[in-house]
Amino acid sequence: MKKKLKKQIAAILLLVVVSSCENELPTRANYQAYSFTGLDSNGGTWKLILLSTQDQIIVSAPSNVSSTAYQSELAALKSTTSNLNGNQLDAVNYWSNNSIVRWNEIALELVAKYNLIPGPNDDGTYTLPNSANPSGPPPFPFAHPPYACRAFAYLSVAQFDGLITAWHYKYLYNRQAPYKVDSSIPFAYADNDLPSYPSDGAVIAVASRDILSAMFPLEKEFLAEKAKEHLESLIWAGANVDSDVAAGEYIGSEAAKVALARAATDGMKKAQMPKPVSDSIKAAAFARFGWQWDNLELPVRPVGLTPLFGKVKMWNVPTVEEVRPPIPPTPGSVEFQKHADELVDFANNMTEEKRKIANWWSDGLGTYTPPGHWNKFAKDFIIKYKMNPIRSARTLAYMNMAIMDAGISCWDAKYYYHYPRPIQTIPGFKVILGTPNFPSYTSGHSTFSAAAAEVLSYIFPNEVGLCKSWAMEAAESRIYGGIHYRFDTEVGITQGKSVAQYTINVAKNDGAGN
Amino acid sequence: MMKKFTFLLATLLFVTEWLQAQTPLDAIMMKQRESCFALVYDEGKFDQYWEGKNLRTNATIATVNRQTVLPLMAIGVHNKVNLIVAVPYVKSFSSELNGGKFAGAKGFQDLNLALKGEIVNKQVGKGKLAALATIGYSTPITNYLSDYRPYSIGFGANEVSLRGIVQYKLAMGIYVRGAMAYLWRGQTQIERDYYYNNGSYYTTWMDVPNAWSYNGVVGIRTLKNSLLLEANISGLNSTSGDDIRKYNAAQPTNKVDSEQLGFQAQYYFNKVKGLGLLTYYYQVINGRNVGKVSGFGIGGTYVFKI
Repeated sequence: MKKKLKKQIAAILLLVVVSSCENELPTRANYQAYSFTGLDSNGGTWKLILLSTQDQIIVSAPSNVSSTAYQSELAALKSTTSNLNGNQLDAVNYWSNNSIVRWNEIALELVAKYNLIPGPNDDGTYTLPNSANPSGPPPFPFAHPPYACRAFAYLSVAQFDGLITAWHYKYLYNRQAPYKVDSSIPFAYADNDLPSYPSDGAVIAVASRDILSAMFPLEKEFLAEKAKEHLESLIWAGANVDSDVAAGEYIGSEAAKVALARAATDGMKKAQMPKPVSDSIKAAAFARFGWQWDNLELPVRPVGLTPLFGKVKMWNVPTVEEVRPPIPPTPGSVEFQKHADELVDFANNMTEEKRKIANWWSDGLGTYTPPGHWNKFAKDFIIKYKMNPIRSARTLAYMNMAIMDAGISCWDAKYYYHYPRPIQTIPGFKVILGTPNFPSYTSGHSTFSAAAAEVLSYIFPNEVGLCKSWAMEAAESRIYGGIHYRFDTEVGITQGKSVAQYTINVAKNDGAGN
Repeated sequence: MMKKFTFLLATLLFVTEWLQAQTPLDAIMMKQRESCFALVYDEGKFDQYWEGKNLRTNATIATVNRQTVLPLMAIGVHNKVNLIVAVPYVKSFSSELNGGKFAGAKGFQDLNLALKGEIVNKQVGKGKLAALATIGYSTPITNYLSDYRPYSIGFGANEVSLRGIVQYKLAMGIYVRGAMAYLWRGQTQIERDYYYNNGSYYTTWMDVPNAWSYNGVVGIRTLKNSLLLEANISGLNSTSGDDIRKYNAAQPTNKVDSEQLGFQAQYYFNKVKGLGLLTYYYQVINGRNVGKVSGFGIGGTYVFKI
């Protein structure tokens, strides 16, 4: 009996020890609403990206705070905020006073969810995702890096244009926040003097919902629920009355329309193409250079990923040709062999450190992609530097435009040069990262990363060292992973930097400082 | 473009079940100061796996092979308490041709420790009833990457297990045995700080699901006790976890279930005292997020006094 008891005690102790080792795993950025470093009261005068004027979206003057209409809104707000339940308080806490972070996080998650390459059918053919039939199979979209960087760019641009418009009207009409009008109303976040009409939160909620619903049509309901909760949280937080929210919703919806109109005609629809056209691109490269990239998957994938993404309309670079990199070394040449030997050497002498770097930056299938990785960094900086929503949106808009331009330029080089991957040129070569379904030169991750690092370095001058070292490590990781030659990555870094310069030049003159 | 797929079963076999010989699973006890050393070579492979519950092939990984060398020691620290220690060395790789051209993996996997205690051993009716319990612990001893399915050589987390074993043996040498265990599995550290597991995770840690494990055996001891033949069924059921996403790589968070049938023979030489040979075969017949593995093992056992 004694023995049995001892055993039971031991078992219980064991359980306690085992379960206490399990840490709670974070599923989102860990931050609380914070006090903004500034309000950017001139935000309404900043240069717009797609809208032509600050009052292109027309928002009429709100009713005066002394009006009966406003007073009844205020009364409704008071009664709501005095009876908040736990879920409502959680929502207020979750959305915070900078919901740009949350919507970007949602975008990243959807990319990770949809970043699955369609597998072969039983007969060895492949079916491409089709926006006309999003349920598939396979489901639409396949959120690969070009798709992802474009979704992030339109999301950030719509948010930014919407917020510039909102800031314009906020300071034009100067209607105070409900908790300023009536001091008995509790405000969930740090007090500030930002006028509350139109609601910036509502702009973000609706613009984000509409852009992401267009990019991820199967998520419409999920996004509508998210936006609904977000909009309600603005009232629960005591930040806005109904008419603030309604005006913000209108701006968000209109800004999204303008962004989606550009997206509809930016050339992305033609980026993926049928095999004969793709073959002709390949043949043209072979005629020009004497080499061509081949997909080595089994069964062979007939068309590479988005061969005409290089023709998609750029944000800030006039023509893709002006940023096209020079010709890479001919396979088999002395220069080439040097780089191929390096790959073989790394593969034969893989270290834990190299393996870790390769995996850290892999950002492959099923993840938020390399552009997503940089959005994560940007959000961390936004929180660290306590940016307000309009400055956060600006940071992400410029970074994501630069990333998308970098992607377009990179894809132009990829299909212009049509350069074979290491597994194609080096017999028996083995990799620790999956080799993507597009040509090698230049490295996408390097180009994306250099562009993102340039913009973030401009906006966060204290982080230059960190950003640049990250970009260099991201580039290096592709060599360790066995999917790129060093010249792919080095030229990619140069290319990303030069592409980003166009965006930074716009940012320098947008009226917002750095 | 495609990546790594699942091949957990051999891991399960060796981490939680080890092998069918002198293990935490069986009812054999070493006497005090008696020890048994076993060395087993195992080879398993699969060319189909369950993606969730859907059985499929995948030319990216083609046939995945896994070879294991398992040294194992069972020590009689007391007539009724045995200590078992095992350290598998594992090598995994894809057959040629494959579409992924992934490098395999190899290395020492986990240190496995178990204490096995005999609780009951008495005559009941015409036969002998034995009841035993094992408490096991395993921990990775090298920095292998658990997040490299299907080539990962293990799941990369600590495990604590509690197992009960009951055996009934008739005088003519026929016996039946059942074992049931619960496996507490910790978290494994991976080399990226974001992953998708039915939602975003911003961490380098993954939860490896806990699991139930069971094992049933019908066997016979014959030829004057020198030959032992067993047919077995065993399984594993994770209590949580996600499914492998379509045409995507497996990961340590997956809910892994499996059921397998096996057969084993052990022979003890009468003329060479203490020496035995064993061989076995197994086939996974049903599963979830696991390879449809078939494999075999051969090995030797040697019992000696300390």
